[in-house]
Amino acid sequence: MNESAWDGTLSASEFSASAQAFAEKWKLNNPAYPPWTWVKSLEVPIFATNQVSLVEEGYLSLENVCIVKSNDDEVASCVEGEASLYDKEDEESTDSATLTSSGNDNVQPYYFDFHIIYSASFRVPVLYFRAYCSDGRSLGLNEIESVLPANSAKVLLESKWTFITQEEHPYLNRPWCKLHPCGSSDWMKLLFQAVEKVDRPAMELYLVSWFSVVGPVIGLGIPIQMLKEP
Amino acid sequence: MAAKRENGSILQFAPFQSSVDEGFWHRLSSLKLNKFRIDDSPIPITGFYAPCSHSQVSNHLTLVAESLPADEDEQSSVPAIASGNRNRCSVPGILYNTNTLEDFRALDKKSLLKQEAKKIWEDIQSGRAMEDSALLSRFLVISFADLKKWSFHYWFAFPALVLDPPATMVELKAASQWFTLDEAESVSKACNEWRSSNSTAGVPFFLVSIASDSRASIRHLKDWEACQGDGQKLLFGFYDPCHLPSNPGWPLRNLLALICSSWNLKSVDLFCYRESRGFADLGLSLVGKVLLHGSTRDHKDLPNAVGWELNKDRAVPRSITLAKSMDPTRLAISAADLNLKLMRWRALPSLDLDKLASTKCLLLGAGTLGCEVARRLMAWGVRKITLLDNGKVAMSNPLRQSLYTFDDCLNGGKYKALAAVTSLQRIFPAVEAEGVVMAIPMPGHPATSQEVDGVIDDCTRLHNLIDSHDAVFLLTDTRESRWLPSLLCANANKITITAALGFDSFLVMRHGPGPLPNASKADAANALSDEMESLALSNREQQRLGCYFCNDVVQPTDSTSNRTLDQQCTVTRPGLASNASSLAVELCVNMLHHPDGIEQLPFYRTFACVDSELALGILPHQIRGYLFDFSQMKLVGRSFDRCTACSLTVVKEYRERGLEFLLQAINHPTYLADLTGLTELTKSANSFDIDWDDDGDDDGFADI
Repeated sequence: MNESAWDGTLSASEFSASAQAFAEKWKLNNPAYPPWTWVKSLEVPIFATNQVSLVEEGYLSLENVCIVKSNDDEVASCVEGEASLYDKEDEESTDSATLTSSGNDNVQPYYFDFHIIYSASFRVPVLYFRAYCSDGRSLGLNEIESVLPANSAKVLLESKWTFITQEEHPYLNRPWCKLHPCGSSDWMKLLFQAVEKVDRPAMELYLVSWFSVVGPVIGLGIPIQMLKEP
Repeated sequence: MAAKRENGSILQFAPFQSSVDEGFWHRLSSLKLNKFRIDDSPIPITGFYAPCSHSQVSNHLTLVAESLPADEDEQSSVPAIASGNRNRCSVPGILYNTNTLEDFRALDKKSLLKQEAKKIWEDIQSGRAMEDSALLSRFLVISFADLKKWSFHYWFAFPALVLDPPATMVELKAASQWFTLDEAESVSKACNEWRSSNSTAGVPFFLVSIASDSRASIRHLKDWEACQGDGQKLLFGFYDPCHLPSNPGWPLRNLLALICSSWNLKSVDLFCYRESRGFADLGLSLVGKVLLHGSTRDHKDLPNAVGWELNKDRAVPRSITLAKSMDPTRLAISAADLNLKLMRWRALPSLDLDKLASTKCLLLGAGTLGCEVARRLMAWGVRKITLLDNGKVAMSNPLRQSLYTFDDCLNGGKYKALAAVTSLQRIFPAVEAEGVVMAIPMPGHPATSQEVDGVIDDCTRLHNLIDSHDAVFLLTDTRESRWLPSLLCANANKITITAALGFDSFLVMRHGPGPLPNASKADAANALSDEMESLALSNREQQRLGCYFCNDVVQPTDSTSNRTLDQQCTVTRPGLASNASSLAVELCVNMLHHPDGIEQLPFYRTFACVDSELALGILPHQIRGYLFDFSQMKLVGRSFDRCTACSLTVVKEYRERGLEFLLQAINHPTYLADLTGLTELTKSANSFDIDWDDDGDDDGFADI
C-alpha cells in the first residue's frame, strides 16, 4: 500500500481495533479457553502517547487460566506454614462433617493471568503475564519457566526473539513478567513479508498474527482457523 | 472417613480454601501505613468466589485489592460491597489485623469464630439471610502484616453452623444422571440465564423449580413458599466451589442450617452448581438427597461452629513473604539489573555484568572527579566503591561535586568521604560504599616528628586499601598526592586510572603494570635462573606502558605552598570534570572486559568488530581532551626507566625497605630524583651544549 516499507508497528487506534477482532476470533475458534476481555484503562498509563486521541485506551485480559501439574514435578512449595507457632491443634477446627483428606494431593494447580497491553514507545503490543499458586503467592521468573508446558519452554530458550523480563505493570504497578517487545516490530515485518507476501497487512489481523508467534512461548496456542479470513 | 448410619453416611463437606492475591497485601500494607496505623479495630472486607470451573481443581474464596474498603477520606463502617458479576460472587467478611505477632497469636480464635457464627445465625433468624443469601457465607480472617520484612501471617475461618445430629447423605451423583434429558437441558438454560443476568449473577443460593413439563426455572430462596405445590420438583441450589465428585462444597453447610431453621424439612434435594468454560456443566454438577435430623428450629440457641482453615491438614496459620515484590530496595536492584541485562542482550552479549558487580573500586579523592566517577561506576552496576578523602564539604563544592548538597556544607561541612557514601546510598540503597577519611602522604610535604607515626599509619593503610581493591582511580587535585598511590599500584599491579584536570584540558590515562610481578608469582618464577629472570624483567620493561609520572623529569614536590589564591584552587571549566570522569570509567570497563589480565594488556590494539564478542572497543593508553577546540587525542607513552613512581629501582626499593623508604621519599626533597638517576640526567642535560645552526636550514632541531 505504502511506498515506504512497513516497519512492523501499529498505532494505538489500530491496536484497539485489532484487539476487538482478536477477541472475537478467539471466542469463536478457541472455546477451550475463557474469552479475552477488554479492560478500559482507568488512568493515563505511564507511557501515554502525547497526541490527543479519542480512542478508548485499554488492554486485553485473560485471567485465571489454570495449568495443572502433577506433584511429581513439584515446582514451588506454595504455602509455608508456621508449624512452630501452635503446639496444640485446635479442637474446634473440624467436626465429623468436614472432609479432611481431599485425596487430591497429586495435582498442583497454577494460575496464569495474561494481559496484552499496547506500548506507545515501541508501538507494538506487549504480553504481560504472571503466575501464582492456589493460595495467591506469585511465582518467580524461574519457577514460571518450569511450570510452562515443555514445548513452550523449548521455544523460549531457542528463540532469540523472545526474552522474558520482570517489570512493573503499567497500570497495576506491581511486578509482572513480560515478553520484551524490542524485537516485535522486526519479526512482525518478517512474518508478513514471508508469509502473507504483502508489504502492509490489514491491521485488524495484526494481533492474531502477533499472537501466533507469542502464544506458543507461554503455552497458549491458537487454532489454525483463527489465522484464516472469516 | 464416613460413619455409617442407618439413614446413609454422614454428609461430608469439602472445606473452603482461601486464596489471597498479592494486590490485597499491597493494599493492606498501604492502608496500614497511611490510614490505620496502630488502630487495630476490625476491618470489613469482601471476598469473592465463583462456582467450580475445572474438573480437577476447586475454586477458592479470593481476596483481591478491591476486597479492602475504598480509599476514601471517611472510613465508612458499612463497606460498599463490590457488586457481583458472573466471574465472582461477593461475600462479606471481616479482617482482624493485629499490630504485633504476639497479638496475632494471642487472639481468641474460638470467640472470634463464635462471634461471626452468631452473626450468621442472627441473619438466618431475622430473615436477612433469606433476602441476601450471600450473608450465609460470611467469613473471618485474622492477620499480622510485618511491614519491615514484608511478610504476612494470616488465617481464614469459614464459619459453618454445625447440625447436631449431622445431616446424612442418601445419594449424591452427577446432575446429568439425575435429571432427564429435557430437564437437564432446561436446567442448564435456566442456570445460564441466572448467571448472565447482572441482578442474579451474584446470588449464590437459589431454588431450582422443575415443573411437570420438565421446564425449569431458578428462583430466589425467599420464593420457597410460592414454589410449593403443583407437583413441582424443588431443589436447593448453590454455587459450589468444590470439584469433587462425591462431596459438596462448604457453603452448603449454612444453607442447610437455614433450611433447618426456616422450614421443618426432613429430606432435602440439593443441586451443587458447577460450571465449565463459562456455562453450566451438569456432568460436573451434583444432585443429591440429604436427610436432616433433629430440628434446630426448636433450639433458638446458637449452634456450635467450626471453620478455621487448615494448612496442609494442620491447624496452623499461613504466611507469605512478598519481600521480592514489595521491598523497594529489591525492586530498585532488579530494575537496575534489568537495565544492564537489556544492554547485554541487545547490544553487547559479551558484557560481563558479574565481573562489574564484583569489581572493588577505590576512588582516591571525593571531589569533582570522585563524585562523577562514583556515579558512573554505579550506573555500570559496580557495587563496591570506597572513597578516600580527608577534606570537608565546602560551600562552593555542591555546585561542581555532584554527590553533595547544601546541607552537607553546614556547620563546618561534613567529611567528604562520608557524605559521599551517604549520597550514594540514597541514590541506590544496595551499593556497598565505604568512606575513608585520610590524607595521602606526599613527597615535598615533610612530616614533623610528631606527625611521623600518623604518616606511617596512613602509608600502611593506603597500601592495604590498594591491595584489597581491584581498580584504583587517582582523582586528587595535586601532582604530588598521586605519587604514593602510583607507586603502590605499580607494586601491586592493580588496574590504575588517572584523571587530571587543567583549566580547559584533561588527561585520562591507564597506568601500565608495575615493573615486577606480584610477590606470589615471583615465588613461582624462582625456578627460573637469575639470567632468565632478568631477561624476563627487561622484556617487561620494554613493553610496559607508563604511569602518570613517567613523562616527568622532575620529582614530585610541594606544589601547593607559595601560591596565590587563584593558583591554590583548582580552577577548571565545569564541563571538563564529567567528561574526564566518564572517560575514566569507560576506560576501566573496557579494561575489565579484556580477556587478558592487566599484565598482558597490550600497548594499543584495535578490536575489529568482525566478531561482536569483543565489541567494547579499544584500550588507549592516554586520552587528552581540549575544550578549546572540542578535540581529543589518544597518546601512548612507554614506561620511563627513571620514573619516580613505577620504575624498577623505586619499586624494588619499596619492596626491600618498605616504610623506611617511603618516609625518606616524603621527607627528603631530592631523594627520589637521586635514587632514580633523575638528578644525574638533569645535570647532563644542562651541561649539553646545543649548537644552533643559523643558516636558515629547516633542520634546526637539536638531537638529544
